[in-house]
Order: sequence, then structure tokens, then C-alpha cells
Amino acid sequence: MEILEIENLSFTYPESKCETLSGISFSVNYGEFVTLCGGTGSGKTTLLKMLKPELSPLGKKEGTVKYSGKELNIVSAKQSAGEIGYVMQNPEQQIVTDTVLHELSFGLENLGTKQNVMRRKIAETASYFGISQWIDKKTDELSGGQKQLLNLASVMIMSPKLLILDEPTAQLDPVSAEEFIGILKKINSELGVTIIISEHRLEGILPISDKLLILENGKVIHFGRPGEVAGNIGNNRKILEAMPASVRLYHMTGGETECPIDIKAGKRYIEKRYGSNVRAYPVAERALKNPVLTVKKVSFRYSRNDKDILSEVNLEVYEREIFCILGANGSGKTTLLSVMAGLLAPYTGKIEINGKNIKKYRSGELYNHCLSYLPQDVQTLFMKNTVAEELEGADTRISELFSDMERIIEMHPYDLSGGEQQILALAKVISTNPSILLLDEPTKGIDAQSKKRLTAILKKLREEGMTIIAVTHDTEFSAECADRCALSFAGELISAEETHRFFAENSFYTTPTSRIVRDIAENVITPEEFSELYSDSDKEREL
Amino acid sequence: MKGMKEYNPISLTVYFLSVMFIVMFSMNTFIFLLSFLGALTSYIILKGAKEKGFMVLILLSFLTSSLINPIVSHNGVTVLFVVNDNPITLEAFLYGISAGVMITAVMIMFRIYTELMTSEKLLYLFGGLSPKLALILSMSLRYIPLFGRQIKKVIMAQKASGQYNTESFGDRIKSGVRVFSVMVTWALENGIITADSMTARGYGAMKRSRYKSFRFDTADIVLIILSIALACVTVYCLEATQTLYYPKVEIEINGLKAYTGLFSFGALAFLPVIAEVKEMIKWKYLKLKI
Repeated sequence: MEILEIENLSFTYPESKCETLSGISFSVNYGEFVTLCGGTGSGKTTLLKMLKPELSPLGKKEGTVKYSGKELNIVSAKQSAGEIGYVMQNPEQQIVTDTVLHELSFGLENLGTKQNVMRRKIAETASYFGISQWIDKKTDELSGGQKQLLNLASVMIMSPKLLILDEPTAQLDPVSAEEFIGILKKINSELGVTIIISEHRLEGILPISDKLLILENGKVIHFGRPGEVAGNIGNNRKILEAMPASVRLYHMTGGETECPIDIKAGKRYIEKRYGSNVRAYPVAERALKNPVLTVKKVSFRYSRNDKDILSEVNLEVYEREIFCILGANGSGKTTLLSVMAGLLAPYTGKIEINGKNIKKYRSGELYNHCLSYLPQDVQTLFMKNTVAEELEGADTRISELFSDMERIIEMHPYDLSGGEQQILALAKVISTNPSILLLDEPTKGIDAQSKKRLTAILKKLREEGMTIIAVTHDTEFSAECADRCALSFAGELISAEETHRFFAENSFYTTPTSRIVRDIAENVITPEEFSELYSDSDKEREL
Repeated sequence: MKGMKEYNPISLTVYFLSVMFIVMFSMNTFIFLLSFLGALTSYIILKGAKEKGFMVLILLSFLTSSLINPIVSHNGVTVLFVVNDNPITLEAFLYGISAGVMITAVMIMFRIYTELMTSEKLLYLFGGLSPKLALILSMSLRYIPLFGRQIKKVIMAQKASGQYNTESFGDRIKSGVRVFSVMVTWALENGIITADSMTARGYGAMKRSRYKSFRFDTADIVLIILSIALACVTVYCLEATQTLYYPKVEIEINGLKAYTGLFSFGALAFLPVIAEVKEMIKWKYLKLKI
């Protein structure tokens, strides 16, 4: 039985010439887990909002959306608020009240629920989601993962039948994101709640989805079982880039049989196809010379009685290299970056920038032409009303880098997609022409397409002589662009090494591709490298 | 009786209102002294004397009151000395001390009240008047720390991109204005998402109900009745006692009625102490049994 039937749905925003959604038809059965994917501007968010009457944007709408056989616009406000749950991307901004308990009760209060019913529901929900431990806390004391879990719980407390999630894990670190996806799986299989979710990171979510829907330019281009859909998209490079490593490997090696959608199936596929054809990827040796940033025995803590957040960190970063620092939340990597940027002062140790102690720079001197820092929350950098105004004063080199930003030049920075905001912010911080660029989580919440672009820009900046240090959770991004990587753990930096060797030697903190192919292909960390290494064997097969 | 923290916000408020009402509208030094002693003891029991800043603040306000009054008020017949043709009198000095005791007593009581009334209790209290008011209060309580943290982030980001200068006064003003304008945009944008999240969860769909989490039991009724009864007795009996400073210090305590009034106010002022001490004894006893 269908919970949602969408027929020929088209939508145009007011004052917009082209349709954001055009001719969309699909239906979702009770209890299904549907994943929605598509690049920036493909209309994902608009489509999801059309399924939730309270959030439906104003504009010209054609076609019908039926919920449980009833046209969506005649569903009562109470039913729609209670039965259709909606979770958005940003964990922080969805929270309404000051305490966890009040946040949980908020939705129930809105529906005029009786007190004793409310008490029971809160008790139940808090236990199910493991919130009981922190139910008395203030909402601003929670971590990002806890905040998003609270947002989910405060929607689930109203016992919705349909749960819509718009990129809920985009702002979370990988561990919290995996936990969140795990809970969604539990909700879906244990409670039978129908789930429609849009996501950039498909690695963990594809194996648990019943259906995969791919949107492009406001049209549904694929809809079906994830394995089938993933097997059919080989010729669409844009979509393929967003797919999990196993799917990319499958298509790049000109795959046959069924398309693997998780690591396990990927490993089986590789084993079947290449058997014991062991090869090693040649790792180019690079001479390390001209250190531009040196960190010597740096320790940092917030106050005398706290524990060390950084303890005796040593690091040398050389000219023209991209250096990635990976590690779990709370391992001190963002703190290290702030210390290197001169925003926090260590209590012992020394930082040298271009051979000169950072303390000896006057602040204007350090941040002009020498060092630039891109914060995690890039919105903190935007000050003007349009992209054009933001870029004013930036030199021609930058305009070149962002030549195809024409489309967005008159938009407000806040209206850009996550990826576009990231690139705009990058343009702003390099407008002072720094020789060292520090990036804090540059790939957080951005889609595969923007990530690719960002990687290309960073590589180009490196060619022009810039040294780039990035703190990131994103193993695939590091594998793509870093020259060296290091793992941050308990306030220390461990094993700064050439990227290929770094990932090949790690067994947990590594790229999905490395996990899949490590048995036969040594030092291979990206699908591209694998297909390059085995191209002759694939060609033979075709002949 | 139970510990002060466990009382329902309504009964707590009734208690504090009745004490403060008497303290603020009576002109009797005995009342001031009793309320000061009661408040200070309860404060020490509930909080300990840890808040040094607050201690300094009440000491300062006490000193200011008792020193400033003789300078501005020249009533009274006993002249101590003369400054610039202005007589400084003993009566004015004593009156200042009495007022100082009153002010510090009220300050300590307010401090205890804010300590006991957590944000949830405040919400519960105002939510009774209007659920919307309660929601606005709760949202503001959430936004204040959020705003503070975001400002710090913006300043850091601006600094590291060379936009935030603190070298000259003009630069500082410019940078500050810039941070402020970023914050305004951020707050508006933030507000839109929060509003979406509210409507998505049915805000405004129908009449709101309220999740109450504070019990109202016999101990609360006892506290309310005691507060009101003791306050009434005090008000009725207070006419029998008077402390006058101008033109001459006169202290009147007229018989049993006066003592009854002072005793009942004393009981009222020390109610929190009684409740807390009783609770402490109970726990000691319970521990012994274990």
C-alpha cells in the first residue's frame, strides 16, 4: 500500500523562469526506506518540502501529492504536524527551546496533548533514543551529534508515520553520522516508519535503503532498488562521483554482474574479478625541503586546571605541500589549527612561520600576505549582501579561479549551497594573497561535485606556491589531494606520512577504496588509482 | 516540609513575596535585622559563602547606604561634626545603617530566589499566565548563550582573515560594527530555520497545552498557608512597635502584641533555614540507619 503517491509534480518559484521540479512521479510504500540523491540545485530540498505542507514553498505548483490516498493539501494541520516528521540539516538552528526536556515536549504541547500522555511519551522516547542521561541538560551544552539526535527524537515523539530528513548528517562528524544512520535503520525496521532521506554521503546509507531516487535538474532520472540504480548510472559522471567507492570502482573497471553497494560486496567483486593479481601502486618520493611552518613542542590548555588539549606537538610543513590532519572529535585538531593560526596562544613551545616566531609578527602583518585561516563555520566570514560585493577587491587571479560563478554573482551569500559558500569563503580568505592557508573542515556538508572542485582549486593553489594545511574528517578528500597526512590523537600528532602509505598502513582510519582493494592492490587509495593500475587487465578482458 | 529546592515555584514565589512585601513596606529596624539574619543564614546554608563577588557587592552597598545617608540628610538633633556648614548627625548615620541592612537583606533574598527559581520553574510560573509568553522566555534563554558563542566565532574568523583590527580606537569601532552586522544577518537567517522547525512540529496548529513537571503537594500548601498567616499576623501586630530616627532615635515596643509580631516575622524569615535544617537532620538520620 502506498503512503505517498506523487503524480506529475512540477514546481516553479515565483520570479523564476525555469521549473525547479518538473514532471516528478513516484510512489512510496508503507515502511520503505527511500534515499534521495542529486547534486546541488537538483531540487532535492524543494521536493522534500513539497511533501510537508507546513514547509511547502510558495510558487506555481502542478500535479498532485497524495498522502495515504488523500490529497496533501486537505490533510488537517494536526494530522500533518503529527504524522509527517521533518528533520533539517543544521542541528543547531532547529532547536527551539533551552532544555532537552522542554524541546522534547514542544511538539506534543503544540498538539494540545494531555499531561499524563505527554509524560509517558517523553519517558518512552527518551529511553528509546538513549537521551535519559542528558535529559536535564541545556540544549547548548550538547555536542553536534546529540543535538541532531534530539531533533530526531523531538520529531519521533509525535509518532509520525512518514519521516522526511534533509541531509541530516551533513554537519556531523563521521562517527556521529554513522550512529545517526544506525538509529534511522532501527526506526525503520523496528517501528516500520517510512523514511525519505536526502544525503550527500551515501557510503553508509545505500546498503540499508529499499529504494534509491536520483534527481537531476528537477527530474527523476532513476528510481529503483539501490543495486540496480547504481548499476545503471555508469555513463553519468556527475552522479557517479557521489556514489560509494564500491560503485565507482565497479563502473571504472567496466563492471559486470551485479553492482556492489557496500564494502563487503565490493571486496567480493574485486576478488572474483581479479583473483590474486597482486600489484603495487608506485608511490612517488618527494623531497621535503624548505619548511614554512614549524611547530616545536607546543602544548595548550584552556586554563591551568584543565587537561592538556595539545601536548608537545611537533610538526614541520614544507613549501608547496597539502598537509591533512585527520582524527576523531576532541582529539585537538581544530585547537592545533587555531594555535597555528595565532588565534590561541600555547603555554609552552614555539611556532615559526617562514622561519620567524609567530609572536614576533604584528597581527596586521601576519594576516596580510602571510597566513590565512578558513573557519569551519564559513558564514562567519560573509558581511555583504551579494557575492559580487563579497569578492570586491579580490585580485584577478581569484576571479579566474571562480570564473563560472557568474550564475550566483548577484545572490546573497546565505542563499548559496553549502559547497558554493565554501568556495566563496575560500575566495575571500585567499584574497590577501597568503603563502600559508589553514582550512578547518573544508568539505563539511558539501556535495561530491563541489568537493571535486574544491580539490582542483587547492591543487592549483599549491602549484602557484601556496602551502595548505587542512583539518578534516574526510578520508577520501585527503586521499584525493594531500601530499602528507597525520593522525591526531589525544593531543598528539601521530605518524605524519606520505598519503598513500598513511592510508595503506591504517586499517580503520582509511578510505573505503583502500578497504575494498587492499588485499590485492598495495598503496591504492582512490578508485582512479585502481583503474589506472589495472587498466591493462581490464582491456584484455574486453577483448 | 521539604528542602527549599523541591518546593513548587508557586509556593516559593508566595513565600518570597510575603517576606519582601513586609520588608519593603515596613520602616522597622527589627524587621530589617530579622530578615537580614534569616536571609544570610539561608544563603549560607543553600549556597555556602562561595560567591566572593556577591559578598563584596552586598558589603559595598551596605557601606554606601550607611555613609551616604548622613552626607545628604541633615535631620536629627545630635550633631557629630560639621563639614562645610553641613551638620553630620548621629540619627542620619543610624538611619543609614538601618536602610543598609534592609537593602542587603533584600539583595540576599533576591539572590536566593534566583538560585531556587531555575529557568524551568520560571517558565512554569509564567506559562500559567500564557503559554506563548513561556515559549518566548524559553527561546530567549536559549538564544542568549548561542548569540554569545557565535560572536566569539565571528571575531576569530574576522581576525584571521585580516578584517578585524584592534590597533587604533577607530579600527576597533569599525571592526565592532562589522561583527554586529554579521550577527544581525546570522540571527535573521537562524530565525527563519527555527521558525520552520516550529511550524513543522505543529506550532500554531491548535491551542497549546503545557508539560508541567513540578508537583504541588501538602508541603507546598503548608508553606503557602504559613507564609500568608505569618505575614498577616506580622502586619496586624506591627503597629505596636516602631523605630524612629528623626528628629531623635525612639524605639517603641509595646507589650505582647509587639513581641508576637516580631516573633511571627522572625519565624517567617527563618522558614527556609528551618526547612533546610530539618532536611539535613533527616538525611543524617537516614544515613545512620543504613
